[in-house]
Amino acid sequence: MLQNKQKNKTEMRHRDQSGKERKSKHGTLLTIIFTIISVLYMYPIVLVFINSFKKKAYISKYPFKIPTGNMYVELENYIRGIERTGLIEAFGWSMFITIGSVAAIIICCSMCAWYISRVHTKVTKAIYVMCLFAMIVPFQMEMYTLSKVANMLKLGNPWGIILIYLGFGAGLSIFMFTGFMKSIPLEIEEAAMIDGCTPIQTFFKVVLPITKPTCVTVTILQAMWIWNDYLLPSLVLDTKKWKTIPIAVQYLKGGYGSVDMGAMMGTLVLAIVPIIIFYLVCQKYIIEGVVAGAVKG
Amino acid sequence: MEKAIKRYFPVFVLPTMIAFTIGFIAPFLLGVYLSFCKFTTVTDATFIGLKNYMKVFEDPTFIHSMWYTALFTIVTVLLINVLAFAVALLLTKGIRGTNIFRTVFFMPNLIGGIVLGYIWQLLLNGVLAIFGRTLTYSSVYGFWGLVILMCWQQIGYMMIIYISGIQNIPGELIEAAKIDGANAKQLLRYVTLPMVMPSITICTFLTVTNGFKLFDQNLALTNGAPSKMSEMLALNIYNTFYGRTGYEGVGQAKAVIFFIIVGVIAVLQNKLTTSKEVQQ
Amino acid sequence: MKKKKLIAVLLSAAMVGGILAGCGGSGDSDKADSSDKKEATGKVYYLNFKPEQADQWVALAEKYTEETGVQVDVQTAASGTYESQLKSEMAKDEAPTLFQVNGPVGLATWKDYCYDLADSQIYKDVQSDDYVLKEGDEVKGIAYVIETYGIIYNKALLNKYFELDDAEIKSIDKLNNFDALKKVADGIQAHKDDLGVEGAFTSAGMDSSSDWRFKTHLANLPIYYEYTDKGIESTDAIEGTYLENYKNIWDLYITDSTCDASMISSKTGEDAASEFTLGEAVFYQNGTWAYNDIKDNEVADEDLGMLPIYIGAEGEEDQGLCTGSENYWCVNKNASEEDIQATLDFMTWVVESDEGREALANEMGFVTPFTTFADYLPSNPLVQANEEYTEAGKTPVTWNFTTMPSEEWKNGVGSALLEYAQGTGDWSTVETAFVDGWATEYAAANE
Repeated sequence: MLQNKQKNKTEMRHRDQSGKERKSKHGTLLTIIFTIISVLYMYPIVLVFINSFKKKAYISKYPFKIPTGNMYVELENYIRGIERTGLIEAFGWSMFITIGSVAAIIICCSMCAWYISRVHTKVTKAIYVMCLFAMIVPFQMEMYTLSKVANMLKLGNPWGIILIYLGFGAGLSIFMFTGFMKSIPLEIEEAAMIDGCTPIQTFFKVVLPITKPTCVTVTILQAMWIWNDYLLPSLVLDTKKWKTIPIAVQYLKGGYGSVDMGAMMGTLVLAIVPIIIFYLVCQKYIIEGVVAGAVKG
Repeated sequence: MEKAIKRYFPVFVLPTMIAFTIGFIAPFLLGVYLSFCKFTTVTDATFIGLKNYMKVFEDPTFIHSMWYTALFTIVTVLLINVLAFAVALLLTKGIRGTNIFRTVFFMPNLIGGIVLGYIWQLLLNGVLAIFGRTLTYSSVYGFWGLVILMCWQQIGYMMIIYISGIQNIPGELIEAAKIDGANAKQLLRYVTLPMVMPSITICTFLTVTNGFKLFDQNLALTNGAPSKMSEMLALNIYNTFYGRTGYEGVGQAKAVIFFIIVGVIAVLQNKLTTSKEVQQ
Repeated sequence: MKKKKLIAVLLSAAMVGGILAGCGGSGDSDKADSSDKKEATGKVYYLNFKPEQADQWVALAEKYTEETGVQVDVQTAASGTYESQLKSEMAKDEAPTLFQVNGPVGLATWKDYCYDLADSQIYKDVQSDDYVLKEGDEVKGIAYVIETYGIIYNKALLNKYFELDDAEIKSIDKLNNFDALKKVADGIQAHKDDLGVEGAFTSAGMDSSSDWRFKTHLANLPIYYEYTDKGIESTDAIEGTYLENYKNIWDLYITDSTCDASMISSKTGEDAASEFTLGEAVFYQNGTWAYNDIKDNEVADEDLGMLPIYIGAEGEEDQGLCTGSENYWCVNKNASEEDIQATLDFMTWVVESDEGREALANEMGFVTPFTTFADYLPSNPLVQANEEYTEAGKTPVTWNFTTMPSEEWKNGVGSALLEYAQGTGDWSTVETAFVDGWATEYAAANE
């Protein structure tokens, strides 16, 4: 796996260079075409941004006009959006739930995966098969009963939902961790054990550091899912106390007997901006994580 | 070593298993059981056998949503994969600005379905208004609106996977083909395509499941309007559960059927993958 | 050693997460804390039905908490989802202590959850038993707001039309039946450029957040006349004898409108309200609660009036506005004794204290059936319009949509209305949804 990636990179460099020489005449044309497509690709987001400064009565009527004169409302839509949805709090809770859940998934699932890839009993085999199974089951199958179980166990709060995410995300994560751990040579661990490490020490000192690439992959995939997840938290969380960002956005629709387009636009922009910044900063990891996740999944 | 580790079951496995039981196994089993019951809350369930399942197939909206979803999945799988592959091919030719384009194309992926739905609702309703139509005028507009939205969201993701597939083709192989006199078309047909077959399988699998399980985007963009005609399977199930009193059992039965459909597709897909990999 | 380091990293990661959440969510977590401490004194959880007043209720609840220290949570359901939300909330551990039913149909579902309010202070404050839901001697629900709807109109614009040379109707007194309404609407539509409007009626928004104006409120009229003819108050099978009239008024709404009928599927109530406030339309079907959205805009208060919805029924010259309530307060019997007491106290406070009365009458603009509100007559001009009709001896139209068999029935009628308006369906679909849908939904609900 690691070697593969190394090879990948040299390959990429090699091909980029040779490509440049050969294709330079088509290159410029393609660059122009792709520039146009890219601009079009970003247009929906730009459109929302433009409309977020427009008076609400004009948004659905003239979506393509630039807000000027009495159409322009400064930051009014943003303020109303934040007030009506409690967006700042929702951002905090989204953050808390995502970070907490991903941390729990990484630690617990990697431990579990190591155990089932090292200990071969009927139980571990059954766990592995169940994880495969869990990857297929659609959320709709679970949605009603899960919300009932969560309510019975009083898990309808941001701490409880972390436990649920751990349980629901365990399938894919254990599967990916096990796939990687099977490829780690046993000798390293055996050496550590002979040196007197307990299995817990061995795991945290030896195994987990080697697993870092898979941790990154799992983090990216699970964080993308949990951050954007609407249905699970909306059913499980006690939404009068805690909202996540998707819930806050959806609440604008119908929450007041009609839709306030102005507040909607402001909220949408505020929901997108942090993601774009995060993406631009961590782009490399995200794309690598996606590729690695796809190859194993 | 195995023995030494074995004693640590409570430390390594138990936490995950407790969460897994609460978050997955218990709801799953309860769900299967409840699909044979009439209930309004979990505690007052009475067993009624297959009645719920019979009601499911009497429900025209469910049958409609099934076909609608199937058609949607076929269209998006084809469009997304063809376009993503084409973009990936062009972006591995080393043209200037490749990195920026890749960044741009991938970006929509990180935005959640609900937010995406409202972004496109604004844009598409704005465009359709010029022709005196709206997204919810008929299910056809809703359908293509959703297709466009899904393409916009997913092309970038699949493109990334295809790019890595294309870059994994050994350079020597291409050189060799060229020495043998292969033109660009033949190169694509006989070298590139077979070599990225694993990527194609993965992307097909991902787009199929994404299409079938689509919920958030559907909810935000059209919410099933008009007359539940643009309602996809997942949304139909949700509305049966939470939109109508007394239909919880039917909703659960629909969910079981949905699970079986998704399961069958996944198994078929898996078979296909393994057979392809043997060939290589 | 490394293990400790790892644990430290994990702990700090968890703490960062906590702090981040804490920054944003401090308001909420504080609230949660105080509720834990006040457990002994009981607390109130109100599941509110009226989205238009969601913010005002939260503010009022905060005021009460400030004053008494009793925790009051207010949650408002999105429009059209109250019944399902109530269902899921009731199944929860922390169920609402105060909830609403819409009338007899709602009560039938929830009567086992309703605490008998016969001995409560709030029942003593009600003007008459017309405003309560009873089962035997038990008082199950008490209406807290009386509302009125009709066709809100812009007096200034309408007068401008009356002054036109070829106006067929010349004064508001003559505007007292469907034919007159149609003449006026058609006239305005024909002269829309002269009058500076975009249509006679605001857009008939059928977006799922807003279609209740037509599938519920407008549909009340054919049901009202059928009930009146037969002398009944509810039915298991509607005949649809006035469906032709329903069609006529709906045709008028979608033809003499600010927008093309093919566009209404994405139009919302908000759109209609803004068209009305910008003076782009003369008529706007809605109720007293809409005043909040209209006031402080371009249409002055003295220019606001409300007409009865005329559908062409016999004797409609004497018809008044549609007045009634679909908001009955019920107290959850299954809540703990402390919570029930806290809830009753809160309700009493709302209708007796100055703050509560001020909020209900002036901020929310409610007309209430309580005797305590004698000094708190709302300034809402739409409410005054209703009083004028009542004084003139017109018969108010009762709210019979509370007898509609289910939410599903309303949705069916709504979808059919939309399809008919767009031209993608025909009127017979509406008839089927209305008549056959009623029978099947009634049967399903009373299984």
